[in-house]
Amino acid sequence: MDRRLRNALQGLTDPDIERRRRAMEPFERATFDNFKKILYHHLGNETECEDILEDVYADIWENPEHLRNVYSEKQLIRTVYLYYMRKRLREVYRRMNRHLHLSQKDLSDLVAPDLGILEVMSQLELRHVLRRLLNRLKNRERRAIELWMQGLSNRAIANDLKTTVGAVKMLEFRTILKLRAMFCDYCNED
Amino acid sequence: MPDTNRQIQEMLVDFADALRDGCIPAFLKSLTREEAQRIASSDEFWNAAQVVRVINSVGFADKAVTPNLSLFLSRVDAKIASRLKKTKSLTKVKHSVYPPSCFRKKAGGPLAKTERNDKSV
Repeated sequence: MDRRLRNALQGLTDPDIERRRRAMEPFERATFDNFKKILYHHLGNETECEDILEDVYADIWENPEHLRNVYSEKQLIRTVYLYYMRKRLREVYRRMNRHLHLSQKDLSDLVAPDLGILEVMSQLELRHVLRRLLNRLKNRERRAIELWMQGLSNRAIANDLKTTVGAVKMLEFRTILKLRAMFCDYCNED
Repeated sequence: MPDTNRQIQEMLVDFADALRDGCIPAFLKSLTREEAQRIASSDEFWNAAQVVRVINSVGFADKAVTPNLSLFLSRVDAKIASRLKKTKSLTKVKHSVYPPSCFRKKAGGPLAKTERNDKSV
């Protein structure tokens, strides 16, 4: 773990409130990017990410007990996700659930699930693995996913692949399931 | 007119698009009761949703930018200050035996703020 982050963590777990407050800035500077990426996985919206992150940092300042025995960055991300972020993510969507047909549990699982591959692997590792797995797909499947990752709409992908929107949706769905099976194999091998 | 009887594959792709474009609430609102039930009973959807999050994070998380980190830091600091204030005022209320002088109890009613009689000169 980075020395600055380690010092900030030590300051955060101090019983003195003002010292904890002073330790927040270096802690935020060291973790902001990573935390924001994690939230972005679930929200896909920068403004919402920042709003939630604001509450997450204030929660950490108020109750830093869970960070007392954190010794690595991976452990930090996992702990912060489990004890601080997930609660806030669920709160955001709980408010609108009155008008939705999903059950509370399904909604929680969809927007703030339990720990998954995302929180276990680093961003670099994920990118590397996904690149490897994409290379193992058929050309057409890989092309559909790559175009989607470039931000193209399903209509544009259908035009590129010279097929219909419905066929593209089916292709993407099957490819995603295939990728899921590959991910599981990779995790088991690892 | 929106499609109200989507199959699992269509809902998954719509979820992926919503996640990518940052409009999950719109996707959630678009679900009908039957579609929600279909999602709840489909293992494939949940498995695929996890991979969608991975693809989305690899493709787009790096592109998320914050124009001003120091502005964000000051927002967090303000939030902490407000929580600190709230904690202090709560502690004060707990310790005080009598209610503040501007409050008095109405007969049989809740605590109400008295009207200010002092007029500005």
